Amino acid sequence: MVTYILKRLVYMIVTVFIIATLTFFLMNLIPGSPFNEERTTNAAVQQNLEEHYHLNEPLAVQYILYLKSIITLDFGPSIKQPTETVNSLLGRGFPISAELGIWTVLIALVSGVALGVFAALKHNHLIDYMAMTIAVLGISIPNFVLATMLIQQLAVQLEWLPAATWSSPAHMVLPVLALATGPMAIIARLTRSSMLETLTQDYIKTARAKGLSPYKVVVKHALKNALMPVVTIMGTLLAGILTGTFVIEKIFAIPGMGKYFVEGINQRDYPVIMGTTVFYSAFLVFMLFLVDIAYGFLDPRIKLHKEGGSS
Amino acid sequence: MKKWLHVLWGIAIITVLAACTANSSSEEDNAEGDQAESGDTKTLLLNNGEEPTSFDPPMGFDSVSWNALNNLMEGMTRLGKDHQPEPAAAEKWEISDDGTVYTFMIREDAKWSNGDDLTAGDFEFAWKRLLDPETASPAAFLGYFIEGGEAFNNGDGSKEDVMVEAVSDKELKVTLSSPTGYFLNIISNPAFFPINESVAEENAEWYAEADSFVGNGPFTLDEWKHDSEMTFKKNENYWDKDTVKLDEVHWAMVNDTNTEYQMYESGELDTTNIPADMSEELMESDQLKVQDQAGTYFYRFNVNEEPFQNKKIRQALAMAVNQQDIVDYVTKNKEEPAYGFVSYGFEGPSGEDFREQNGNLVEFNAEEAEKLLEEGMKEEGYEELPPITLSYNTSESHKKVAETIQQMFKEHLDVDVTLENAEWNVFLQNQKDLKHQLSRSSFIADYADPINFLESFVTDSSMNRTGWSNDEYDQFIEKAKNETDETKRWEHMYEAEKILFEEMPIFPIHFYNFVLLEKEGVSDVIRHPVGYLELKWADKE
Repeated sequence: MVTYILKRLVYMIVTVFIIATLTFFLMNLIPGSPFNEERTTNAAVQQNLEEHYHLNEPLAVQYILYLKSIITLDFGPSIKQPTETVNSLLGRGFPISAELGIWTVLIALVSGVALGVFAALKHNHLIDYMAMTIAVLGISIPNFVLATMLIQQLAVQLEWLPAATWSSPAHMVLPVLALATGPMAIIARLTRSSMLETLTQDYIKTARAKGLSPYKVVVKHALKNALMPVVTIMGTLLAGILTGTFVIEKIFAIPGMGKYFVEGINQRDYPVIMGTTVFYSAFLVFMLFLVDIAYGFLDPRIKLHKEGGSS
Repeated sequence: MKKWLHVLWGIAIITVLAACTANSSSEEDNAEGDQAESGDTKTLLLNNGEEPTSFDPPMGFDSVSWNALNNLMEGMTRLGKDHQPEPAAAEKWEISDDGTVYTFMIREDAKWSNGDDLTAGDFEFAWKRLLDPETASPAAFLGYFIEGGEAFNNGDGSKEDVMVEAVSDKELKVTLSSPTGYFLNIISNPAFFPINESVAEENAEWYAEADSFVGNGPFTLDEWKHDSEMTFKKNENYWDKDTVKLDEVHWAMVNDTNTEYQMYESGELDTTNIPADMSEELMESDQLKVQDQAGTYFYRFNVNEEPFQNKKIRQALAMAVNQQDIVDYVTKNKEEPAYGFVSYGFEGPSGEDFREQNGNLVEFNAEEAEKLLEEGMKEEGYEELPPITLSYNTSESHKKVAETIQQMFKEHLDVDVTLENAEWNVFLQNQKDLKHQLSRSSFIADYADPINFLESFVTDSSMNRTGWSNDEYDQFIEKAKNETDETKRWEHMYEAEKILFEEMPIFPIHFYNFVLLEKEGVSDVIRHPVGYLELKWADKE
């Protein structure tokens, strides 16, 4: 197990390094610069700015400076928000995005699995059709449309909840609902189909034949195995949702980190692009690693340490 | 089977209910808190759009920083309700006869928000810092009017040679490199705000947080939750505090116009921009405010690219564009159509408006356009016009205007143009590298004088982006910049603009404006055509 983890760690570092390098060179290939302004710009002023951010150095030097910044985990100041460092931007935005993300994932997971299980148990009954209708709607309605509808109905018309910003638990309800519906629908569909498959397996029949209560059969025996596909997508889902979503955060004016992914690129704010990319890829790789570990616990047939030992 | 179903449902219902009750109770708490507060304090609810990029005066060179900062600090002058500079931190000033030496007397009762006296030294420190190449301020060029300023900023001179000097605690002497009639206007700009030197020495990042922020304006920065909200409170140390009527200003940071509008509707904001898809119905609203902004939406020809090396072809295309139709039926934002480059609102020495005085320099005229095109093609020996591509940066509104112009060329001249769009930064880079043939542009004035518009098209200006160069034009601009006599200076500028439209390296579409909704009872929130938001006189019933 330990060898396996160490090996995975090395892979993870190599992956992040490759992503970071590719991003660096791709980013420099895009035409434009952070100091591209529509207004009149003065040559001396431009030069002072470029010197200040080392953008006048050859690309190779910039690359080394940048690798240094990754190793020391200090991405330096943002170019567009000159009095902030990238670290402080991410440090401030991530907890908020993560808070929104955790609630979203929790709600999506609980309701998605519940919907999926009901649907599978009542296969081809009314409940199944209803659950799957909800799921199809959830997948096909984009979250920004849902968000606007929720604001219009619940905030503007009924005035039950605030329309936007992020200052109390009440402010969290609408964005969490808007964000959770999509993943909930995906989880529901996955759970349903794998639950249907699991329920036909021999060991479930055995369990039923033993006279176990239906609750025990479903929760203790079937659900555990039926959840494998859900666990598989959880890694990417978690990384995607916890690091913030641009559109939902913009609509609800949530000060998360989602906007830095998009605005960093639009503004050619190089340190912000690098900071967000490295942060996100490291986070994603780590989540995938956790998922692999989780497999081992959920399904003893997958033996991680053996795989590690044999190589 | 049924038993576990009940259990699961039970859990689900309890979870939902628990979440709901927790939320609704906390919401009630908030509502009560708000009411209690608004009972005895006047709070104006504004939206800043996004986090200010920096409250370090020379660094946050954009409206999201300076609209707010303009109310936390104050320079020697402040633009009044009539958009003219009036005494602010300076009580009075003297100007030498040749118009180059300004001596400012700072008010005895001008104080910093921490109680310190505001001194001439604070201004000297701040203005030299603006010009210091180490500061790398994007607004540094605004200080080039000061003798020695440009040399210091581009590395040829030293700090000591910048001619700003604190003669005494309350007296600042500034020497300009040439007489600049609008200098008093320029220094109302946040780039020229003073900096409390002792505060800055103690904490170099004094501007980064509410706790450490020290200003000298009508309001103080009471709270600043980054990326989320700010609260300003009336500054009890402000020299003119009796004029300030608001107790508090609350700034949200909502960067989505639809959300902003919905918050306005639900009473969370006192003013809002208008969402594009609702503009038609809201344009008739009683709460609508329309104000001029000094800026021009226009198109550039690239005179290095065929067929635009030919003046008559440029004129022909420019005259085939019907500006009035574009503002009436396409942009529908109550803009003034532009028939010149300098926008309305600049008053000359004898009180005349620049735009009205210099008249309509390009106007829609389909017949004339057709004739000019024919002549131009003959001059160049064209049987057929070379292919033309019109470029704009990706956006719904620019696309609509571009398509309309395409349509107008087709209708009036039977000229086909291809449309091409690109992401903003790529577009801008291509425009600067003269890779376009015909491209969309805009200009927003940095300081309040027509020369700021016109200097854009001198030969080496970074704003030129047309490849156009004209000696006579350059000379008029040069003369205007060094002229002490205002009447002559304005004559030079009138002449220059006429040359610009005789040569037609650009054609204008409309002037910019601010269009917004403002709640009834809100008054005197001043938005200058050039300058930043003023809340000093604002009131709310």
